[in-house]
Amino acid sequence: MEEHFHQHISRQFNQELESLRQDVMTMGGLAEQMILDAVNALINGESVRAEQVIENDHQVNEMEKQIDQQCIQILARRQPTASDLRLVMAIIKTVNDIERVGDEAEQIAKMAIRLVSRDRPRNNYREIEAMGSHVRAMIRDALDGFARLEPEVAVQLKRQDEKVDAEYEAILRQYYSYLVEEPRNTSRILDSIWIARSLERIGDHAKNIGEYIVYMVEGKDIRRATAEEIEKSLVDATH
Amino acid sequence: MVTTINQNAGLDANRPHLKLDHESIALEATGLNLYYGETQALKDISMQIASERVTAFIGPSGCGKSTLLRCFNRMNDLVDTCRIEGCIEIDGEDIYHPSVDVPELRRKVGMVFQKPNPFPKSIYDNIAYGLRLQGVKSKRTLDEVVERSLKKAALWDEVKDRLDDNAFGLSGGQQQRLVIARAIAIEPEIILLDEPCSALDPISTAKVEELIIDLKESYTIVIVTHNMQQAARVSDFTAYMYLGELIEYDDTAKLFTNPSKKATEDYITGRYG
Amino acid sequence: MIRKWFKSGDPWIWLIGGAVTISVIMVIGLLLMIGVRGLGHFWQPPIVEATFTSDSADEQRNVLGTIRSLETVSAQSVRESGVSVPPAQNFVDRYLFKLGNRDLTGQDFEWFIADRLSDFRYPLDAIQLQRREWGDFFGYLEAILEDGEVVAEGEAAFDVLAERLARTSEIMRQINHIERYEIGDINKKIEAQRLERRRVELANNLAPEEKSRRFAEIESNVAQLNAEYDVLFTELRAVRDRSLRDALVARTPDGRTVTIPFANVVRATRANAMDTGEKLVEYGARFWEFLSEYPREANTEGGILPAIFGTVMMVMIMSIVVTPFGVLAAIYLREYASQGPITRMVRISVNNLAGVPSIVFGVFGLGFFVYFLGGNIDRWFYPEALPAPTFGSPGLIWASLTLALLTLPVVIVSTEEGLTRIPKAMREGSLALGATKSETLWKVIVPVSTPAMMTGLILAVARAAGEVAPLMLVGVVKLAPNLPVDGEFPFVHLERRIMHLGFHIYDVGFQSPNVEAGRPLVYATALILVLLILLLNLTAIAIRNRLRERYKSDSD
Repeated sequence: MEEHFHQHISRQFNQELESLRQDVMTMGGLAEQMILDAVNALINGESVRAEQVIENDHQVNEMEKQIDQQCIQILARRQPTASDLRLVMAIIKTVNDIERVGDEAEQIAKMAIRLVSRDRPRNNYREIEAMGSHVRAMIRDALDGFARLEPEVAVQLKRQDEKVDAEYEAILRQYYSYLVEEPRNTSRILDSIWIARSLERIGDHAKNIGEYIVYMVEGKDIRRATAEEIEKSLVDATH
Repeated sequence: MVTTINQNAGLDANRPHLKLDHESIALEATGLNLYYGETQALKDISMQIASERVTAFIGPSGCGKSTLLRCFNRMNDLVDTCRIEGCIEIDGEDIYHPSVDVPELRRKVGMVFQKPNPFPKSIYDNIAYGLRLQGVKSKRTLDEVVERSLKKAALWDEVKDRLDDNAFGLSGGQQQRLVIARAIAIEPEIILLDEPCSALDPISTAKVEELIIDLKESYTIVIVTHNMQQAARVSDFTAYMYLGELIEYDDTAKLFTNPSKKATEDYITGRYG
Repeated sequence: MIRKWFKSGDPWIWLIGGAVTISVIMVIGLLLMIGVRGLGHFWQPPIVEATFTSDSADEQRNVLGTIRSLETVSAQSVRESGVSVPPAQNFVDRYLFKLGNRDLTGQDFEWFIADRLSDFRYPLDAIQLQRREWGDFFGYLEAILEDGEVVAEGEAAFDVLAERLARTSEIMRQINHIERYEIGDINKKIEAQRLERRRVELANNLAPEEKSRRFAEIESNVAQLNAEYDVLFTELRAVRDRSLRDALVARTPDGRTVTIPFANVVRATRANAMDTGEKLVEYGARFWEFLSEYPREANTEGGILPAIFGTVMMVMIMSIVVTPFGVLAAIYLREYASQGPITRMVRISVNNLAGVPSIVFGVFGLGFFVYFLGGNIDRWFYPEALPAPTFGSPGLIWASLTLALLTLPVVIVSTEEGLTRIPKAMREGSLALGATKSETLWKVIVPVSTPAMMTGLILAVARAAGEVAPLMLVGVVKLAPNLPVDGEFPFVHLERRIMHLGFHIYDVGFQSPNVEAGRPLVYATALILVLLILLLNLTAIAIRNRLRERYKSDSD
């Protein structure tokens, strides 16, 4: 599948699409790193690292603009059709989601800075750390799937997203109980809820990217379909 | 009204060939094989052309799309070595049946060619040619038809003051629209367009495309084009042909966003065959 | 440096330019030579009188005439012809004088060594008479006679000259009219009665009494015609007598006095007394005479009207015949015949036909058209005239048909060329509108290829008008008594023999008894021939250009 992009009669077009894909991967990688850094900054109380995340978000925003520009150029000049058209469309949407991921990471970083000066909870945000690594894995999976053009990753992401959602619910319930138990830490707990919500959002974005991959590869719109339906349609396609 | 049997373009991946409701078929080819001497130019083509819709044939040079088009009004008869198997039905009648009156068929199935080919006569005489062949002499009728045809071809305003001028004085785009007007003057059911814009500049091309879209209100149009964007712009259905075979035939929207066959995909996205 | 020059392509341009220049110069030179010599003939030269001293130097005589040419020859050749030339002299100038007076001296032209001529004079009273017989007369006008009586003398005679000449010309025209038309008419009627008689004799289905009744009827008709003839003949005699009433008395250069009836004079000019204007008028009159009169004196005098007429008629009939045949053949070859080996062979044969020597066509025309076709026509339709042939002898129609055959390949080839050049798209455009093949052919293809057909016709006309050799066998004669078109039913006489400019040139130039007199006519006739072909071609080209404009298309 990968090679498919290198078969255009126009080598220039090949290069343009390739560099576009590379840029998306780079941008995604950056966003993934931002999640890691933001969560670590929170856990380790490193405000410098958190500042770094906020700094990086500007870069992600810049990259989004630049990739959008490239996509517009390709649409205008190459009038891509079929898989090329779907690739460009998927990239435009993916980039949008990655940018949001970056925004969420920035939010987490900002919270982390605020929380550095506060008391740390006994378990030192273990549940946040776990959820963070989950969503980071989802983003990584989404990017891998994007790089390898594997629509199956969408099913996986869908299921993981459901898990992350459940995790989020659990964290919320836990934090509500904390609110009652430790009223003096209300402000910290509320911030923590915000962080958990950001992570949950990141999971949604990863799931979205999975859907775009399916559209890109199979030409099917699976938004709002269940994991089973997606799986079934993918199995159909391979026969 | 044309309805494709499977309107849900969402999750159904494998539909190489279009199937139409019976009443919306203008022309149907079944098991069509065509040979030029020993070479087979068309291989087992079966397809249905939707009435009052624009159907585009695309494919690389020599894929047989023009040949197929020329089968529909028996223009291939002019080639001595050409031999045809299978059948093409229009209104339920096989047009290759020996009893078919070929000029009559060609009145029913008009054709417009790659290069504008007006006759070296006046604009008026060009349009009136087909009617005069049918024995129409009344000046009133001819005047009416000429005006109506030119209006339909969106050329009336440009030429109404010089109907008696030689048609070769018109620009290429005007000539092509004149030729289309000449074709619709004899009220065909189907109009075949063989790369009608390949000799025209972009503005003229746009005008002709606009005209094609207008004409599908009352005519069935089949267009062969090298320009895929053009097929995408004007057609409702698109057939991709390669080496004499009909590879894929589907809704234009579907074919250009998500073709079922890799060969189609490769062709329309510009990849090595 | 040289190599660079070669590589630049300049040498080729020079080569090509040079070739074109040479061709153009040759064409212009040809036209100039024919033009100058031909047109110069009609200009009245001055009449020169000179004194000629003979070899023995004791005898002197007056020479009166116009100078035709002056040339320098080697003294040796002059000596060999028996004329003594001083031994020191290597070259001799000599004049060719046109002296006229053939009836008196026996020769029209004479060479004179320039050294022996002296005392050149241009006498004002010298006259040149163009006569119906015996060529020109040079001399001095003495008096005008009417019925043998002198009516004017000396200077006064010149005033009367023109008037009497005009009067006599009018009478001569009457004579001509009576002879040619009225008597001719009666002769033809008598001939018709003879043929009728013969027809009755040949008719087997008539009863003897019916036959004798018819014979009696014919006899009475003939008797009546003979009576009419006698009346006309008497009238003719009277007119002829009147024409002989006026005469002029003239003195020859050697002092003899002759009386010449005006009936024998065509035009009289007093060359040395004429100013340029008068000479121009005279020039126009002579040129017009050349174009509009019948030839006289074995074609060396008079006009070439029958030759012009014959040439034009022949070319026209040829065009009428060759165009449809050639066009239809080309259409068949290109549009209908399957393009197999047979068609290719036919096409090659047609092309090769264009290369067959024209005299071969003449032989074919004589054998097939004249003897076979003409002979059979005579046998079937004109048995009463036999053994005298009607269509069975060379004539206009056979000449035209032979030329049509000769030019057929040109028309076929260029029409085919035109048909091939028509873009396939135009054909398909018509077929796609429901036209049948023949509708397409006649409504689109043929009209569009008319310019090509005209091109073929132009080439055919150019070739036909200049062709002579085959025509001598199939219908062209040196002197035809009648034009092929006249007022007599059926007005166009295709069986008649005709005169032809090309053959006229040959005849005047090489077959004439008086070569020297005919030479300028050769040029003049050639000029007319060239102008005629030019005119025919320009007409055809004009028509073609109109057609081109009308059927103008991108491909042109």
